[in-house]
Amino acid sequence: MSVQAEKSPIIQKTDTNNILEVHELKKHFPIKSGLLQKTSGYIKAVDGISFSIKKGETIGLVGESGCGKSTIGRTIIRLYEPTDGQILFKGQDISHLREAELRQSVRKNIQMIFQDPFASLNPRKTLRSILKEPLNVHKKYSGKERDEHVGLLLEKVGLNASFINRYPHEFSGGQRQRIGIARALALHPELIIADEAVSALDVSVQAQIINLMEDLQEEFGLTYIFISHDLSVVRHISDRVGVMYLGNLMELAPKQDLYTEPLHPYTQALLSAVPVPRKKGTTQRERIVLEGDLPSPANPPSGCVFHTRCSAATSECKQIIPKFKEIKKEHYVACHLYN
Amino acid sequence: MSALLEVKNLKTHFFRKKQTIPAVDGVDLTIKKGETVALVGESGSGKSITSLSIMRLIPSPGGEIVDGQVLYNGTDLIELPEKELLKIRGNEISMIFQEPMTSLNPVLTIGQQIIEVLIYHQKMSKSKAKQKAIELLEMVGFSRAAELINDYPHRLSGGMRQRVMIAMAMSCSPKLLIADEPTTALDVTIQAQILDIMKQLSNKFGTSVLLITHDLGVVSEIADRIVVMYCGQVVEEATVGDLFENPLHPYSEGLIESVPSIEGEISRLQSIEGNVPPPENLPEGCRFAPRCPKAFDRCFQEMPTLSKKLSRSVRCFLYEQEEVGK
Repeated sequence: MSVQAEKSPIIQKTDTNNILEVHELKKHFPIKSGLLQKTSGYIKAVDGISFSIKKGETIGLVGESGCGKSTIGRTIIRLYEPTDGQILFKGQDISHLREAELRQSVRKNIQMIFQDPFASLNPRKTLRSILKEPLNVHKKYSGKERDEHVGLLLEKVGLNASFINRYPHEFSGGQRQRIGIARALALHPELIIADEAVSALDVSVQAQIINLMEDLQEEFGLTYIFISHDLSVVRHISDRVGVMYLGNLMELAPKQDLYTEPLHPYTQALLSAVPVPRKKGTTQRERIVLEGDLPSPANPPSGCVFHTRCSAATSECKQIIPKFKEIKKEHYVACHLYN
Repeated sequence: MSALLEVKNLKTHFFRKKQTIPAVDGVDLTIKKGETVALVGESGSGKSITSLSIMRLIPSPGGEIVDGQVLYNGTDLIELPEKELLKIRGNEISMIFQEPMTSLNPVLTIGQQIIEVLIYHQKMSKSKAKQKAIELLEMVGFSRAAELINDYPHRLSGGMRQRVMIAMAMSCSPKLLIADEPTTALDVTIQAQILDIMKQLSNKFGTSVLLITHDLGVVSEIADRIVVMYCGQVVEEATVGDLFENPLHPYSEGLIESVPSIEGEISRLQSIEGNVPPPENLPEGCRFAPRCPKAFDRCFQEMPTLSKKLSRSVRCFLYEQEEVGK
């Protein structure tokens, strides 16, 4: 077997049910150093990831900081230029489209909700101009209809239409996140990428926003990519969940399977680390404590990237990159234990 | 077990223009020797200000402890002259903050920062303090502690910095450790490491811990008792087991129900309607009443008191009536 074992494409191309397909997607950031800013290496933020999403589905991406989960979201929406691989949106390859083409076919249909509701809204614009901007850019509706549409959007996300002339600083964190959601919805997108959309919110408000996102999904038939480090929230909202580590997808499965029967040692450790509110008399689950810290994505370990922290690692793991393959129905894992 | 720290009717107010902001408004809190108490609430509930008031670290001018007592082993820390307080702060009571990135001095080595504490409080010689610093770093799980003391904080990851903070906080074997969101900025696997270390150390030294957090999972992991705060007041206090089993206050109940579970399936999350009211404009009567699904007329007019029931207390008219009926 060669050292660089090839990863098999795991999905059939042009499956019409899939709204999005990602094939072997890579995003490497150059590290510049020295006076002449020569490239001295690459941060392999996303290093060969494949998955697909069906229409109306919610896929959750979890992992710790630096695993590349945000990079993948931003690469799919083409805020970052992919280094390698393909992104197919409704069968169309969008991975190398130019800006003008992107605006026509992609931007309208894929929207993003960001983590920080304080930083993602322009403080000098009123709600009206924040929400009208996407409509102006894409020349959707005539002038008067735009105002009506904005009012409707506010209503949909549970904000009072009389707020329309206010500025972002007048709103609480939860309300701002509602504004962020309204902005994402303005152009009737089909796919929404939510990057840590509820992480900055207090739990009671977080629950309101999660419920709102679920209602909107049902009403508009939205598809979500829900990126978060919070495993409990991801379990709640997703249909399928992918676990990332150091730029690689380690496991992908329907949530029930993933949470009750995690296969990859990293998934097992990650799930066991989450503290759970306990009732009296119930015992704490056994915890797998991972030793050490995350290796640098500029210089990832050889073979399986997790082998340096894995208790089940063998010499095979140090040399050969495990294939990402289907072990059970729809349950994919990249680990030599399941050969 | 006797009380190590007793906070009685603590009121810390902030003054802005002509407004008074009652950030902490009559908090009572008891921590026994060796006990871990969790202070829980959402942003703006006053939990961090409570802990800063205990240490008398409220920024002045701007804020002021206007009333109440903080009894530490019987002495009132609020009345204590600054000079006396310095002997306790950092020595017998120490603190860990949320942001390990900003709470270490970037221009001093790890070693210098720990040694400083030991020389100041324990009157150690420099060489002895260095020895002790290495021991402390080993205690929080660093294998190459002898080299680490010459490193600067920017070379460490978030989890490592938080372990350094714990080593520093534990350096004088404090009687009370105040940990303000110690794991909030960390990833779950690192959080698990830190919680393990905190648990071990508090057992080993019999240190009492006041843990401030919004994460109910973390609470159940290491705390014995839990105090729930809302808008500057304590609304419920109970053992961790009791509270998760049967929360009495509608706010505590809402808080527990809002968190999705990693273990089970719930089709829809129970959320608490509305938002936390701004502290300069608090509602009349019970502060939770406008968001409370069980509120009735009286709740909007009168403020309920924190009434004791066996081993727990709750600030809600629902239970006051129950008691009167008995």
